[in-house]
Amino acid sequence: MYSKVVHMALFKEEQIDHAAEAITRLRSLGIPDRDISVISGIPYSERILDRPMSWTRVGLIGLAGAVAGFIIALLFAFGTPFLYPLRVADMPIFFPIPTSIVVVFEITMLGLLISTFIGVFVETISPSYGPKGYHPKVSDGNIAVLFSGPMDLDEKFHSTFAELGATLEHDVEEEKLWL
Amino acid sequence: MAAEAKIFGKVQTAEQEHEDPTEQLMFDPRPREEMNRMVMEMMTTTTKKFWLFFFGLGGGVVVLLFGAWGYMISTGMWVTGLHRPIYWGVFIVTFVFWIGISHAGTFVSAILRVFKSEFRRPFTRAAELMTTFGLAAGALYPLIHLGRVWVFYFMVPYPNARWLWPNFRSPLVWDLLAITTYLLSSTIYLFLPLVPDLAMARDRTTGIRHMAYKILALGWRGTEAEWFRLKKAIQIFAFAIIPVMFSVHTIVSWDFAVSQVAGWHSTIFGPYFIVGAILSGVAAVVTILFVLRSTLKHMDYFLRPEHFDALGKLLLVFSFAWGYFFFNDYLLGWYGGEAAVRQLLTAHASGPAAWIWYTMLICNIGIPWLTLWNRKIRRTPWLMFIITLLINVGMYAERFTIIPLTLGHQRTPFDWGVYTPRPIELAIVLGTFCLFAFLYLVMSRLIPLVPVWEVQEGQVAHTLRKVGKAEIPTVTDLE
Repeated sequence: MYSKVVHMALFKEEQIDHAAEAITRLRSLGIPDRDISVISGIPYSERILDRPMSWTRVGLIGLAGAVAGFIIALLFAFGTPFLYPLRVADMPIFFPIPTSIVVVFEITMLGLLISTFIGVFVETISPSYGPKGYHPKVSDGNIAVLFSGPMDLDEKFHSTFAELGATLEHDVEEEKLWL
Repeated sequence: MAAEAKIFGKVQTAEQEHEDPTEQLMFDPRPREEMNRMVMEMMTTTTKKFWLFFFGLGGGVVVLLFGAWGYMISTGMWVTGLHRPIYWGVFIVTFVFWIGISHAGTFVSAILRVFKSEFRRPFTRAAELMTTFGLAAGALYPLIHLGRVWVFYFMVPYPNARWLWPNFRSPLVWDLLAITTYLLSSTIYLFLPLVPDLAMARDRTTGIRHMAYKILALGWRGTEAEWFRLKKAIQIFAFAIIPVMFSVHTIVSWDFAVSQVAGWHSTIFGPYFIVGAILSGVAAVVTILFVLRSTLKHMDYFLRPEHFDALGKLLLVFSFAWGYFFFNDYLLGWYGGEAAVRQLLTAHASGPAAWIWYTMLICNIGIPWLTLWNRKIRRTPWLMFIITLLINVGMYAERFTIIPLTLGHQRTPFDWGVYTPRPIELAIVLGTFCLFAFLYLVMSRLIPLVPVWEVQEGQVAHTLRKVGKAEIPTVTDLE
């Protein structure tokens, strides 16, 4: 067991191959995937970096929102004629189809889209696992490989990352980027 | 010897036929740091001209929109030109116009994203912003048109002692629902891809701006999980917002089509309105892109003739489609044999307001068909600016023809009428144009108008691949 000191290796934007290679070498040095994270200025898929697949519940939350929207829409569209019977032209009062399809569609979609956003928001502000840290150069396109590893491997880290053309920072602290 | 082709009598070599790839944004990459700097300079540079427009447009909003609207509220609707039988005038015309304009953001951003059209990358945000502000301007009109705006809450479903519950079978309630859904979802759709760029702005600012970007960027770092989540959400939105977009303008068309009014009661109104909306919306995107390119520093790097060219092709296709739907609507009305509809069509084409009908046809069919087939014209931004401005004049004329000109010529000749908008109505209409331009102007200095991460992503994905003797532009799917 080693103390969790976070290191950051910063690669230039055109060094994506080197960043991927660095992850492979970290693994060979015994650093597990859960102790490595990559931050970048553009999205690189897990396949490119040979990383385990990320996951999100945004789709599920969106689906739940759509179901909630659908139920609310049914209450509006079909409950309303029962509570407030209103005769329009010669249409049946208690069977508002096809007119209610529009209402059901709109409120279902509203539920889906708003809950998808809420899902993104909640997941973003929720605590996450893996090494934390940030460098403003990431938004300039640089790729940062963050990892926590034992101090006695420091020399190996240095030689590995120097060979790959990265700059290495030790003991990176978590920066408060939000409220 | 190079292969030669003869086009309109001019001999072109194979090299001349193909443009230099570096003329395209995707093949002319610059370091991300430099692109960030360019975008930040756009946001932070304010000239004298900017402040002149800022105060001019702001004054326009206060005086023309809120001043004139306030006057109309205090005096009553009699100050407008609305009278029997024409109760829907320029307020509803402009409402349909703005809702139509708002379709472009979704079309350009969502549909082109779904189809992975690479040329969309630098201007998706400019188009999405147009959707949000177009809807905001359009959403004011049901309130303006209401006259007694203080009773707008009658449309909101809440229990009350007077049994005033909205009738969910009314297209006007559908309008309220559809516009609310579209406004909320398009605002979120604007915000989501903005988050990484807000983080970029956060890293480059100090003081209040830094605080604001820090809050809005939601602590974005750019981790794999964050990118994955963002991409997933954008994907859900891109697919889900398309049917919402279609529903909004279909419902707007049903405001007319579900009635028994001659000329309105048409089953083709839904798709006809949608095609018209996309035509006017894409035209408005081109107009705005020209203005942005001419007024914002460094924008000429991001917006290039290739983008005007691609949008010009889209415009031509939608102009064809609009012509097709117009012909369908016209033919069946004319051939259907209903006397009132025939008389109406004759009145449109030969009555005192026939110039509006001809303006519509010239601007929506004549001008695009005669010009946009030409690559050189499509790649000349100022020409595209004029053409797209004219297309929107034509689309406004279309709505004017459909609404007051149709209402004024119905089945009973003793009930015919002529509608002339009064200055108060024109002031309010002009006021919403000022509002749209004002909001856009302010936003251009608050958020990055170019989605830098999307541009860089595109540039990383594009390469030149040697095939035989030639270097062929190739795009890789980074996913």
